[in-house]
Amino acid sequence: MTFLIKKPMTRRAALRGVFHGASVAVALPFLDCVLNDSGTALAAGGALPVRFGTWFWGLGHNPGRGIGPKTGADYVFLDECKPIVPYQKHINYFSNFNTPLDGRRLAVHFTGWVACRTGTVPVQGEIPAPTLDVLVADVIGGKSRFRSIDVSSTGDPKDSYTYRNSGSHNAGEVAPLSLYARLFGPGFADPNAATFVPDPAALARKSVLSSVNEQMKDYVKNVGTADRARLDEYFTSIRQVEKQLDLQLQKPDPLAACRVVSSPAEGKVGDELELVLDNHKIMSNMMAIAVACDQTRVFNMLYSQSLSRLHRRGETFIHHALTHEEPTDPKLGYQAAVAWYNIKSMEAMADFIQAFANIKEGAGTLLDNVLIFANSDTNFARLHAVDGVPVITVGRAGGKMKSGLHVAGNGDPITRIGLTVMQVMDVAVENWGTGSLRTAKPITEILA
Amino acid sequence: MHILRAVTTAGAAICALAAFLPGIANAGPAPKRTVGLVVTSWFTAQYNTPHWEECPEGAAIGNDELWLRSLPQDARIKKTDGGKVQPVDGARKQQAVVRGPNGEDVCMNPTVVNDPPLRIIKGKFGYGFNLDGTNDGAPTSKSCKHDKFEDPDTGLKVDNQTYRTLGCILGWRNGNYMEGHPNGERQDSGRGTILIEVTDVDDLENDPDVTVAFYGALDPMPKDSTGKILPFASYHVSGTPQYGAKAKGRIENGQLTTTPVDARLPLYGNNYTGDMFLKDMRLRVAMPKEGEGAPVKALLGGYYDFNKWWDYIQKIEFLLVAGQWNCPQIYQAAKQLADGYPDPKTGECTALSTALTMEALPAFIVHPKNERTVAEAPEPEKKTQLAQGQ
Amino acid sequence: MRIVAICAAASIAALVAGCGKQEPQTTGTPPLVRQMTEVQYRAVIADLFGPDVKIAGNFYPTPREDGLMAVGASHATITPSAFERYDKLARLIAAQVVDASNRDMLVPCKPAAVKSADDACATVFFSKVGRLLYRRPLNQDEVARQVKLATEVTKTTGSFYDGLAAGLSGMLVAPDFLLIGDLVETDPNDAARKRLTGYSIASRLSFFLWNASPDDALLTAAEKGELYSERGLAKQVDRMLRSSRVEAGVRALFADMFGFDGLARLQKDPLIYPAFGLSAADDSGEQTLRTIVDQLVVNEGDYRDLFTTRKTFLSQPLGLVYRVPVETTSGWEPYEFPVGDQHVGIQSHLSLLALYSHPGRSSATLRGKAVRELLLCQKVPDPPANVDFTLVSDSSNPVHKTARARLSAHSTDPSCSGCHKLMDPIGLSLENFDGAGQYRATENGEKLDTSGELDGVPFKNPQELGTAIHQNAALNSCLVNRVYAFAGGHTPQPGDRPLLDYIEKKFVADGYRLKPLLRTIATSEGFYAVGGTATGTAEASVKP
Repeated sequence: MTFLIKKPMTRRAALRGVFHGASVAVALPFLDCVLNDSGTALAAGGALPVRFGTWFWGLGHNPGRGIGPKTGADYVFLDECKPIVPYQKHINYFSNFNTPLDGRRLAVHFTGWVACRTGTVPVQGEIPAPTLDVLVADVIGGKSRFRSIDVSSTGDPKDSYTYRNSGSHNAGEVAPLSLYARLFGPGFADPNAATFVPDPAALARKSVLSSVNEQMKDYVKNVGTADRARLDEYFTSIRQVEKQLDLQLQKPDPLAACRVVSSPAEGKVGDELELVLDNHKIMSNMMAIAVACDQTRVFNMLYSQSLSRLHRRGETFIHHALTHEEPTDPKLGYQAAVAWYNIKSMEAMADFIQAFANIKEGAGTLLDNVLIFANSDTNFARLHAVDGVPVITVGRAGGKMKSGLHVAGNGDPITRIGLTVMQVMDVAVENWGTGSLRTAKPITEILA
Repeated sequence: MHILRAVTTAGAAICALAAFLPGIANAGPAPKRTVGLVVTSWFTAQYNTPHWEECPEGAAIGNDELWLRSLPQDARIKKTDGGKVQPVDGARKQQAVVRGPNGEDVCMNPTVVNDPPLRIIKGKFGYGFNLDGTNDGAPTSKSCKHDKFEDPDTGLKVDNQTYRTLGCILGWRNGNYMEGHPNGERQDSGRGTILIEVTDVDDLENDPDVTVAFYGALDPMPKDSTGKILPFASYHVSGTPQYGAKAKGRIENGQLTTTPVDARLPLYGNNYTGDMFLKDMRLRVAMPKEGEGAPVKALLGGYYDFNKWWDYIQKIEFLLVAGQWNCPQIYQAAKQLADGYPDPKTGECTALSTALTMEALPAFIVHPKNERTVAEAPEPEKKTQLAQGQ
Repeated sequence: MRIVAICAAASIAALVAGCGKQEPQTTGTPPLVRQMTEVQYRAVIADLFGPDVKIAGNFYPTPREDGLMAVGASHATITPSAFERYDKLARLIAAQVVDASNRDMLVPCKPAAVKSADDACATVFFSKVGRLLYRRPLNQDEVARQVKLATEVTKTTGSFYDGLAAGLSGMLVAPDFLLIGDLVETDPNDAARKRLTGYSIASRLSFFLWNASPDDALLTAAEKGELYSERGLAKQVDRMLRSSRVEAGVRALFADMFGFDGLARLQKDPLIYPAFGLSAADDSGEQTLRTIVDQLVVNEGDYRDLFTTRKTFLSQPLGLVYRVPVETTSGWEPYEFPVGDQHVGIQSHLSLLALYSHPGRSSATLRGKAVRELLLCQKVPDPPANVDFTLVSDSSNPVHKTARARLSAHSTDPSCSGCHKLMDPIGLSLENFDGAGQYRATENGEKLDTSGELDGVPFKNPQELGTAIHQNAALNSCLVNRVYAFAGGHTPQPGDRPLLDYIEKKFVADGYRLKPLLRTIATSEGFYAVGGTATGTAEASVKP
């Protein structure tokens, strides 16, 4: 039995909430007959795994318009964070964590996110160290069909801030349809299907890959050490597909939370704001379902680029250009159009969080069993400030983390946040970062 | 007999539109320019008021209603299954049009029934040109007695018996289905595209002597993502030599007006492929501004050969219901209202004054390499009443 | 020997270049492993199996490094997601190759029975296909490995062709195919030196000149050891340069240099730029590449003239953008912008103008930066971090009507002016073209001032900017640098400087023509020299 309904769904329908869009957890009729609501565990007897994700938005907030000064619980979101207020109890907000440059040049809209995600201030446009999602994926990514699912809502696969190094970039999926095909198309075994038929082609493909592995061993002998590291990753990539084939050959454990929906219709991609918001929402929902179906345990979503090119249809200015060229409104005291875009970013974040909140898992929702690390590239975009770059975590990591707190960093290195989440995700890392960003101090107040 | 003036074969295949080529430095005496226009939409020029004041008798009656009226009460109920069979339904449409006494199709045989007269325009205002040169519509050697309209903008007396005929029919009124739909068909298919080429232009604002040619093309009109037609597209002259009439013109304060010329223009729409035959055709158009791609308005008028015009009306009979009109009434009215080119024997006029409002965009007109001239081509129109009337 | 050949080919040029002197020594380059780009992959598959074999699916972008994907390819890795795509493509391609409708043409032998394995036929197939895929003959073990795999699969599925497809799909995801590796061996004439194997030389040559795999003739030359001799190498280079396939190489070079991969994703706001549809974006790159090929390959003209030429090629969608007549209803036709028109040179093409602009606005800064970085190889430093746009954002300041007015804010700020001075004068002269390449004389009703200067050469308008670029000496060294980097897949190092200077001199002496430049590099000894800085370079173990 399959839950895949082949009839394509219109974009409108997808947005209206066929993806469990309503916030009330009502079972969808077409699933009623095949699923019950039990399922407090991933598999019989096994605990639900903690899944890890990242979310990125460009250009931060306007100063003094994101969060109020009160720290701890009962903190106050200000105007530009209003859209995420309904999720406040799931959110930790980190303010005033700094990015000391140690005399290195600040590459605008680059240094901020790179330092935050790799622990090192980059030089010359290089990615100096793996982004933290890659380090987490090294620990938990091998357990699912995909090592990670990387998505960019802007239509450009290059807009994906997940790297092992400069040459090893996890490019983003950009189109809902192709993302759907990858996640739920051929090769997807529905964990709740009544019957399981192993794909006979999978066996043949395993033979092919093992032959490729042999060739790889010969090949490695001919290359220098620098290239050996690249070939290591090639190896890993082959292993990942082998892993997928293994999964195709065995019946997956049933997952109550996994409810696959029908394919979206083919649509446009691009960096028009309206389009990005639509695509982001559709792909967020798919991503959450992929997580619920244990297709991936690491997921990365980019909403807007650090140099955000998002623009309303018919407007000459992109978001980034506005941050520099829009005059400060004398009455409001801030850049009004920029603020409008910043609020849209948080609306998108709300969509992302809701996608996980929609899915009932165990006694609560999928949100309880994930840890999402969200960050921007700058604090005050007009001045490219990298001190106080906003970072947000969402979810309780299966109870390993507290949520609903505002943590002020008092100028501590921003790497403390990354270190903390990596430790929560069982990455064996005692200290993280280089130079002044190096830290061995996790943020204990958010640990449960 | 008016012979279409020869189209000179262009030496270069493409008319370079110097006026619209961006960024040309202004050095030395400006060369003669060519301005190309593509007609993106056209309608019969009409003066329509919201409350139909120009139609004191009300809206014209459609074929279906005339058919129903002709039936006894019980037959009406029976033939419409108590009203369940609607006018648009195929069987009813077919019955309604063959309402001649012997089952004749009344579009093919418009004189076999005695319908009440068509409700026509009775108002004072209308748009068009003063084709007969009179202010009172008194007969001349080239026209029959008729009523004139007053152009509401200029106060000039003008002729437009086509408007008088069709103006009270719902489907033919401004922008409605009968003329609205074909514009879309023309834009998307490219068929029936009318090109206007103004050559020998010294000055876009004022020039006493320019040449204006009228061509047909078969290129679909490129549109932007919102459906707006893009300016400065290239269109390929096609269908010469029957098209290509040339008139002289003058530009005053950016308005171009032409001398009369007998012309044939491509006509496509409502599934009809043919031509418009216009005698004494003239054009008034606002010249586009230097380098700008904004649409311009034009008015084109002349005497439309009645038989050719009727050929079109007859062949679109399948739209009787969509447009709420009928053939016999239009035929009778137009015959009576025809105001141009009296038949020397009967004195009956053989053409209908008409005027079309047009919207046009700057375009490039590409001429075929071996463009034939009218002089080299066989005379196409020997059999029309217009030709016989010469 | 080689020098003599060059002298014979262009004696005047040779005199200028100081013919008779050996080219300068270089420190050489460590062996590189380059990942095949999407264009190369498609070309190789089309060469091998014909253009009808569909390669359905897109690739992950190759990162750009020091201005070139060709360089980024030397450091790119195959991530799990990327491998997944290669694997899927490989299976799709292999299935098509052995499909009943294609197999008679693409499989050089017929099995004894389609339902069982046939080692002899499989051996023929894998040997033949393998040589072209791996760009070297397969050794016996390698062929045996593929045959064994095919047999295994045939046993499971009961189809000989399934077995072939399995083997082929494996070869298509093997490092030997996807990675273009420099294999080295000890120079038999000098035991202290390493040299590239003949097959590696062949691959370098063919990806450089044709952006595709070596053909049979080139592999045969490599097999016979001919590529080690100056004469043998020159013979192949000349053959390749005469071939029409050099067009593909030149296209790849300039598409890479100008970042045309970005055109595939380029979008403009449809409300602001209605004439810029998707086909205009696609056609714009083609316009520039056609212009380049015509000037540099067909006419073998002066490279610098690309920036002053009025000649180009247009399609209907581009006619709408440039607002000029296009006669052809489909396809392309040559076009020459009239004298006085500001569309002069490829820098005034829609491709570069639109690519280096915002979605709804032109950008003098991005365009100026592109001219500096892409054409002149002058790296413009990134903007300072703590820029304060107080002048611009001062609300008492009326909205600046033109880009010049807006940018004046930057140039009066000392922390900005240093770099903006490098970019803005160039970009501001291109303000005559809006964000989607359409000509305009004014912006917001104000007449545009398009004057400026480039490295001391003043200009009044875009046309004169073209002349200034034409005259700029950096234009030549930049091209030499880029072609060299593209050819070898690595950014030239200080040790390469004397060689590059030599090549540039020859380029100038050869009348700034591209084909002689390609020849100079492709026949240069230094280009193939293996550097001592390589770490852990192993001997080639894969031998035929």
